Amino acid sequence: MKKNILIGVFALIIFTVVSSCGKFLDVVPDNVATIKNAFTMRNQAEKYLFTCYSYMPKDGNIGIDPAMLGGDEIWMLQNYGGTFFNMAKGLQNVVSPYGDNWTALFEAIRDCNTFLENIDKVHDIDESERLRWISEVKFLKAYYHFYMVRMYGPIPMMKVNLPVDANIDEVKVYRDPVDSCFSYITQLIDEAMINLPLTIDNPMQQLGRISQPIAMSFKAEVLVYAASPLFNGNTDQAGLKDNKGTQLFNQTYSKEKWDSAAVACKRAIDICQSVGMKLYVYPKRYMQFNLTDTIAIQLSIRNSLCERWNSEIIWANSQSYCGIQGSALPALDPAQPQNFVPRGDYSPPLKIAEMFYSNNGVPINEDITWDYSGRYNLSIAGYSDRLYIRNGYTSASMNFKREPRFYADLGFDGGIWYGQGRYDDKNDLGLFYVQAKYKQPNAVAVDRSTVTGYFMKKVINFENVIGAATAYSTAQYPWPIMRLSGLYLMYAEALNESAGPGPEVYNYINLVRQRAGLKSVESSWTNYSSNPTKYTTQDGLRSIIHQERLIELVFEGQRFWDLRRWKEATTVLNAPIKGWDGNQEVAEAYYRPILLFNQTFGEKEYFWPIRDGNLTTNTNLVQNIGW
Amino acid sequence: MHLKPYEYMKKTNTQFRVNKMPMCINKLLLTMKISTLLLVIGMMSIFSPSSYARTKSPDIKTASIGTVLENITQQQRVRITGKVTDKAGLGLVGVTVFVKGTSRGGITDVNGNYSIPINPDDKTLVFSFIGMIKKEVTIGAQKAISVVLEAESTTLDEVVVVAFGTQKKTDLVGSVTSIKMSDLKVPSSNLTTALAGRVAGIIAYQRSGEPGQDNADFFIRGVTTFGYKTSPLILIDGMELTTQDLARLQPDDISSFSIMKDATSTALYGARGANGVILVTTKQGKVGKASLSFRIENSLSAPTRNVELTDPVTYMKMSNEAILTRNPLGIVLYSDEKIANTAAGLNPTAYPANDWKKLMFRDNTTVQRMNLNVSGGGGVARYFISGSYTKDNGIMKVDKRNNFNNNINLKSYTLRSNVTIDVTKSTEMIVRLSGNFDDYQGPITGGADMYRRVMRSNPVLFPSYYPIDEQHKYTEHILFGNYDVGQYINPYADMTKGYKDYSSSLMLAQIEVKQDLSALAKGLSFRTMVNTNRKSYFDVSRNYNPYFYKLASYDPLLGIYGLEAINDATGTEYLGYSEGPKTISSTFYLESMLNYSNTFKKKHNISGLLVYMLRDQLNANAGDLQQSLPFRNLGLSGRTTYAYDNRFFAEFNFGYNGSERFYQTKRFGFFPSAGLAWSISNEKFFEPIKKVVTNLRLRTTYGLIGNDAIGTASDRFFYLSNVNMNDPTNLATFGRDPGGYTLNGISISRYANQEITWETSIQKNIALEVGLFNKINIQAEYYTQDRENILMTRASIPVTMGFEAPIRANLGSATGNGVDLSVDYSEIFHNGLSLSVRGNFTYATSKYKVYEEPQYKEKYRSRVGNSIYQQYGYIAEKLFVDDVEALNSPKQNFGVYGGGDIKYLDVNKDGQITTADMVPIGNPTLPEITYGFGFSAGYKSFDCSAFFQGLANESFWIDPSATSPFASYRYPNEVISGTLQNQVLQAYADSYWSEDRQNINALWPRLSPTINSNNAQTSTWFMRDGTFLRLKQVEMGYTLPKKLQDKMRTSNFRIFVNATNLLSFSKFKLWDVEMGGNGLGYPIQKVFNVGLTVNFN
Repeated sequence: MKKNILIGVFALIIFTVVSSCGKFLDVVPDNVATIKNAFTMRNQAEKYLFTCYSYMPKDGNIGIDPAMLGGDEIWMLQNYGGTFFNMAKGLQNVVSPYGDNWTALFEAIRDCNTFLENIDKVHDIDESERLRWISEVKFLKAYYHFYMVRMYGPIPMMKVNLPVDANIDEVKVYRDPVDSCFSYITQLIDEAMINLPLTIDNPMQQLGRISQPIAMSFKAEVLVYAASPLFNGNTDQAGLKDNKGTQLFNQTYSKEKWDSAAVACKRAIDICQSVGMKLYVYPKRYMQFNLTDTIAIQLSIRNSLCERWNSEIIWANSQSYCGIQGSALPALDPAQPQNFVPRGDYSPPLKIAEMFYSNNGVPINEDITWDYSGRYNLSIAGYSDRLYIRNGYTSASMNFKREPRFYADLGFDGGIWYGQGRYDDKNDLGLFYVQAKYKQPNAVAVDRSTVTGYFMKKVINFENVIGAATAYSTAQYPWPIMRLSGLYLMYAEALNESAGPGPEVYNYINLVRQRAGLKSVESSWTNYSSNPTKYTTQDGLRSIIHQERLIELVFEGQRFWDLRRWKEATTVLNAPIKGWDGNQEVAEAYYRPILLFNQTFGEKEYFWPIRDGNLTTNTNLVQNIGW
Repeated sequence: MHLKPYEYMKKTNTQFRVNKMPMCINKLLLTMKISTLLLVIGMMSIFSPSSYARTKSPDIKTASIGTVLENITQQQRVRITGKVTDKAGLGLVGVTVFVKGTSRGGITDVNGNYSIPINPDDKTLVFSFIGMIKKEVTIGAQKAISVVLEAESTTLDEVVVVAFGTQKKTDLVGSVTSIKMSDLKVPSSNLTTALAGRVAGIIAYQRSGEPGQDNADFFIRGVTTFGYKTSPLILIDGMELTTQDLARLQPDDISSFSIMKDATSTALYGARGANGVILVTTKQGKVGKASLSFRIENSLSAPTRNVELTDPVTYMKMSNEAILTRNPLGIVLYSDEKIANTAAGLNPTAYPANDWKKLMFRDNTTVQRMNLNVSGGGGVARYFISGSYTKDNGIMKVDKRNNFNNNINLKSYTLRSNVTIDVTKSTEMIVRLSGNFDDYQGPITGGADMYRRVMRSNPVLFPSYYPIDEQHKYTEHILFGNYDVGQYINPYADMTKGYKDYSSSLMLAQIEVKQDLSALAKGLSFRTMVNTNRKSYFDVSRNYNPYFYKLASYDPLLGIYGLEAINDATGTEYLGYSEGPKTISSTFYLESMLNYSNTFKKKHNISGLLVYMLRDQLNANAGDLQQSLPFRNLGLSGRTTYAYDNRFFAEFNFGYNGSERFYQTKRFGFFPSAGLAWSISNEKFFEPIKKVVTNLRLRTTYGLIGNDAIGTASDRFFYLSNVNMNDPTNLATFGRDPGGYTLNGISISRYANQEITWETSIQKNIALEVGLFNKINIQAEYYTQDRENILMTRASIPVTMGFEAPIRANLGSATGNGVDLSVDYSEIFHNGLSLSVRGNFTYATSKYKVYEEPQYKEKYRSRVGNSIYQQYGYIAEKLFVDDVEALNSPKQNFGVYGGGDIKYLDVNKDGQITTADMVPIGNPTLPEITYGFGFSAGYKSFDCSAFFQGLANESFWIDPSATSPFASYRYPNEVISGTLQNQVLQAYADSYWSEDRQNINALWPRLSPTINSNNAQTSTWFMRDGTFLRLKQVEMGYTLPKKLQDKMRTSNFRIFVNATNLLSFSKFKLWDVEMGGNGLGYPIQKVFNVGLTVNFN
C-alpha cells in the first residue's frame, strides 16, 4: 500500500512537471512589432516616411556639413580639432575619412527602397497621398544618391534592395559611371515630379516636405553638376577604371549638358515664380524705427538667409536648424562680459573679406577708384562711415568703401553690428560694434574668438539678444538648401556656358545685385572696372558669375562644392589662410596680415576617399585616384 | 553547570559584554583593535535581529565569560597513560588524546607519551593527529593504552561534489577540482579575489580595488567563444547566481567548492555549462550539540602602488611647451611670472599648487569583518545558521565642515539558515533561506571616478577651497575654488559636495525534498528542489551645488586678494536629491531528479540519474518589450556511470536543452558526452610498486556542450526582427516653426533569422593522476575545446547593402587547448612539524578557426589562427626625429603628425599607413598563463603560510588618450560636463620628446594640448607586458593550547595576522600591473589583517 502511494505521488509530480512545460519556451506573445507593422496603417507608414527624411544630412551643421568648415571660408583657432577643420588642414585620410557618409546614406537608400516596396500594403491611405509619399521618397532616394556622387564621384546606384540572404557575389556591387549616376538621379526626380504638390498647403505642419519647385530646382542643380568641368569630360579622372575596365568618368566635354541644365534652370525659375517666390527685400521699418537704406539693404541680405521660410527660400532643411548662431557671434554686449555663449569662434580669413566687391560692385583689384595696394593701410572712420564702421575708429582701409554684402555678412574690428537688441540706426553711437584687438572684449583668447579678425555676421539673425549668464535668445531658422538667388545665378551660369553672354544672363545676375544694393553688371564694369568689357566675353562673364555666386552664397555651404565642380579648388584652396595679427593691441600692429596656415589642396581631394575597410569588404570597388 | 556561554546567557537573560571578558582575551581583542561595539552588534544581530540597532540598555544584567568559565566544575579523576607511535614505531609528538564526548584530554610529549585524568564513567578515548586517521579506543579496565596511528591517505575516500550529487574522488571520470576552504580565507570581503592561482584551470585577475567594485574576472580554461557570456556558470546550492553573489559568500559558510571543467562534468547543466561551472554548497548542520564559531578580523588596507603625477611647476612648463610646440602662434596658459611665483611657493591662494591626490585621498583605510555561525541538531532536524558583517571603507578624505560622510562605506550583511528535517524515515527536507545585503555610502560618482577626476583636474588654476576671509566671514558654505566661469573640475568639490547611498539585496529561498525510494527498488531515490530569488537595487544621491569662487584681484605686495563668486545664482547651501535606477529581478528554478545507484556482485557499481530542470527569470527594468519577456531554460539531463572493481570506470552523460532564444525548429539541442577512467594502481600487477606510486590513474572524456548565451545579452530572439516603431533617433520634423510637426521614425536593431541556433563546444580532456608515497599528488590534464557555430557578424557584406543592424550567422569557430597542472605535497614530521607545499599551473590558449572576414590581400590581417583576445595594432618604430623625416616617410592617415610623433611601420609597403598595416601585436589581453604556489607549515601551536600567484602571456595597453597630458578626455559613455585637462604622469614628464631633446625613444611623444590622434592609435608603443608574480598572501597564526582552550570551553581558538599583495614583481612600474589598462582607476589594495577565530563547543 505504502509503495503504491509513493508511486502515485511520484507519478503525479512527474506528470505535473512535464505537462506544464509544453509551451514553456514560447515566451514571445503575438503582436510583437515587426517591420510589417510599419505598413499596415497610414499613421505607422507616415513614421516610415519621416524615417526616410530623417537621414537628410544636416546642412549648415558645423560637424556634419563638410561645406562649412571643410574648405577655406571659415577658420578657427589652431587648437580646435573636429572633423572638418582637420579636413581643411589637409588631414583627410582613407582609414577613417572625415565626414564619411558612405554607410549612413546607403542605409537611408535602403529605407527608401523598403518604403517603396511596401507602401502599397497600407490600406487606409488616400490614393493621392500614397502617390505623393512615393514621389517624396523617390526624390529623397535621388537626393541621397546625389549627395554621395558629389562627395565620392561615381557610386553604386542601389536601385532596389538586395535581400538579406543575397549571396556574396551579388552584394559586391560596382561603382556606376558618373553619367549613369546622373541619369538615374534625374530619372528618379522626373518620376517624382508628377505627383508632388505644387505648393505646401499646410505650411504649419508640412513646410520642408518636398514640392515641385524643390524637385525642379534640385534637378536643375543636378544637371548643372553633370555639366560642370568636374564631371563633364574630366580627363584628370581618366585613370579611374574598375576591375572590369569600365571607365567611370566620361572623357569628352559635352556642351549639350549645359544646354539641358539651362533649360532645367529656367523651368525651375518659372515654377518658383509661378507660386509667388521672389527675392527677399526687407521692409524699411523695424518696430518704431524708420531704417536708413544702408541698414535696410543689409537686413535684406542677412534675412534672405536668417528669416525662416522667407519669400526666396525654395528648400530649407527642417531637419537642420542653424546651430551656430551662438558660437559665431562675438561677445558684443559690453554689459555681459561673463556670458560665454557668444564666442565668435568662426573666423572668415582675409581672402574671404577681400573677395567682396568694392562699393562700386566690382572686384577690389579691378576697381579703378579703389586703392587696392593700400588696402592694409589704416583709415579713420568718419561720419559718412558711421553705419559701417564706428565713427572715429581706426581700421584697415580694406574695410572701407565695400559693397553692402561685405557689411551685412562680416563683422570686424571697428565694424558696426546692427541689431542684437539695438535697433535705432539714427543713434549710430548706440549701436554695437566689434573690438577685436588684443585685450579688447572680442579679442582672440586661448579658447575662443576670432583668429582672423573677422566674424560670420551673416548667419546670425539680427533679433537675437545676448542676456545675462548663459542667456541668449535666438530666432531659429531651418538651414536653406536652395535660395532663389542661387537658382538665378545657376541659370546665368548655365546659360553663359550654353549660349554665351546676353541680356538674359545679365538680367538674372542683376536681379541678385539689385537686392544687394549694387548697380547692374553692365554699368558697374563699364564705369569702374579696369577691364570694362569683361562681361561681354564668355570667359569674362564666367568669372563674374563665379565671384557673384561666391559672394552671394558666402557661408551657406556652397563655395566648398562650387570650387570643386568648377575645378578651381586647386588654385583657390592652395592659397594661404591669413588674418590680422590678433596678438597686437594697437591698430598699426594689429592690421598686418599674418600667415595662419598654409592650406594645400591636391588633385585627389576633389573627391572623398572610400574608407579602406569598405574596399577590403567589397573588392569590386575601386578607390578614388590618389587615395 | 555545563552551560555554553550563550546558553548561559539566554538562561540568565543577560547579554554579552565583551569588555568584561577575562583579561587575556580582553587584551588580545584590544591589541587587535577590534571594535567592541561591532562584536556586540554582530552577536545581537544573530540573537535578536530586531533590536540590535543602537540599543545599549543599562537595565540589562551583565555577566562575563569569566563567570561562565568559573562555573565549570572540577571533578575527581584517575589517570590513564600510554604512548602513541606511527607505523614505524616512532613516537608522535603533539597527538591530541581526549575522552569522547567531552573536551577533557591532553597531548603527547616529545616521546609520544601521554597521561590524562579520566572519570569512572568515561568509555572511549580518541586519538587524533593531523594527517593521521583518527582512532578511538574503548577504555574498559585498561590503565595504559598505547596506539599506532596510520597515516591518512590524502585522496582515498575523499568525496567531491559533482553535478547533482557527489562522487568519490577515486571514482571521478570528469575533470572536477575542489578547493579547500582554508585556501579561500583571504582578508577580503570579496571571495572572487581569492580564486587566482588557487585552482588549476582558472584564469583570474583583478582590475580594481574599489570596495563594491573589486570583483575579480575569472574564466575556466580561458575563453573560446566570442559571444557575450564568457564567465562560468555559478551555482550556489543549486541556484544560478552571479559573480557578485559569489563575491559576498563567506568562506566560513561553504562546505564545498568545486570547479567543473570538462564536458562530462558539466554536461548535466547542458545549455549553461559551456564555460565551465563553479559549484558551491553551503554547510548543513550535523547531529550534535550546538557548536558556535566566530571569526573576527580587522584590516588595514592601502594602495599597492599609486600613479605618480608631476609637480605643478613642471605641469605648467610642459603645458606651455605643448601649446607652442604644436603652434608657435599659440597662446600659452601660464605666464612666466605665475610659474616663477608658484615655484617660489608664494601665496598659495594666489598661486595654487594642488596635489589633488593628497588633498583627497588618505594613505590607508580600515576594514572590519566578522562572521558567526551556529550549527547542530538532533534526530529529527539539523541546522546551520550563520551571519556575517563586513565593513569596507574607502580611501577618500572627508571634509569636517560637512556633517555627512562622503567616503566609501560599504557594509555587507549576510544571513543564512539551512535546516534539514527528517520528515519520515525515508524523506528528508532541506530548507535554505539566505539573504545578502549591501549598504553603501560613498561619493556620488563612485571611487574610481574620483581617481579619474583627479587625473583630469588642473592643479594650478585654483585651490580646492579658499580660506574664509573678512569679506566672507558670514558665509556658511565652503568657498570652493574654480576659474573663469566655473567650468573646470574641482575634484575636491565633487567629492565633498554630497554622497550616494545604494542598497542592494538578494533574497533566496529554497526547499529541497529527498525521498528514498528503496522501497520501490534498492538504490533508487528521488529529489526535487524549488528555489526562487529576488534581487533589488536602488540608489539615491544627495548633494548641494558647490559655490565656486575665483580670485578677482591680488596685490602681491600686500598679499591681499579679493574673491569673486562665480555661480552665486546656481549654488546651494542645502542638499538636493536625485534618484538613481531601481532594478529588480526575480528568478524561479525547479529541478527534479531521479537517482539510482547499486552495486552488484561487489564489483559492478552502477548508477543512473535523470534530471529535469526549468528556469524562469524576469527583469523589472527591461527597457523594451523583447527584453521584458521572461528568460527561460528547460532541460532534461541524464548520467549513467559504471565502475568495475574500482579499476575501470565509465560514464555517459547527456543534456537535452531548450532555449527560448531560437526558432521552434532550432530550439532544442542534444549534447552527449562520455568518459573513461582506469585506476592502474588498483590493478594486481601494480602491487609491487604501490608503496612508491600510491596512486596512478588515467582519465579521459569527450563530449558536446551547448551554449545559448550567444551574440549579445540584448539579443533575445534571433528569429524575430527587433523593430523600434518609435525611435527618436530617426525623427523628422516639418512646419513653419521650430518643432512644428514631428514624428519619431522606425528603426531596426536586428534582422530576423530563423536559422540561428546553439553554439556547441566539443570538449576533450585527458588526465593523469599520480600519487607518490602518499605524500605527493600530481594531477595533469590536457584539454581541447572546439567551439562550433559561433554566432558572428557577416563581414563579407558591404555597407552598400544599407543594413541598419549587423547580419549574423552561426559561422564562427574557435578552438582552445591547454594544460592544468597541480602538484601538492604534504607531510607530517615526527617532531610535530607539518608541512604542505602546493602549486598549480594553468595554460589556456584560444584561436579562431573559422572567422568570416574580407579576403585580405595581406595574410597577417586574418584573425584565423590568432587568439580571440589578440589585439591588432600598428608597429611603432620610434618617434620621428623631426618634421623632415615625417614628411619623407610613408603617409600616416590619422591626423596631424610631425617630429616627435610616433612613426609606424608600413608593413605592406604600399607607401602609406592604413588599417592594412595593422598586425597582431603582443600577447592576448586575457592572460594565457595563471599559476600559484605556496606552502603552509604548522608546528605545535604555530602555523604559517605563504602563497605566490602570477600571470603571464598577457599584454595590456596604457591608454594614450586617457593619459595624454593636457588633453580633454572623456571615457566612453561618460557624462561629465566642464573643461577637463589631463594631468601629467611623472613618468611622461621624465621622458618625452621635446624640440630641445629630440629623444626618439622617449616614453611620451611630442606634447600636444589635445589628443593627438596619430599617437593615440593602438600600437606597440603603449603596449606593455602584463606578466607579474606577486606574494598574494602570507599568514601566521597561533592556536591557543588545548589546556587553555578546554578551560574556556573552546576549540580552535586561533589568532592570526596575514597580509595580501605585499610584494609584486613586474617590469611595469606606473601602477599595479594587475590593473592592466585600468590603471587610472581605484588602485588595488594591499591589506594587513589581524583576526581571531573561535569555536565554542
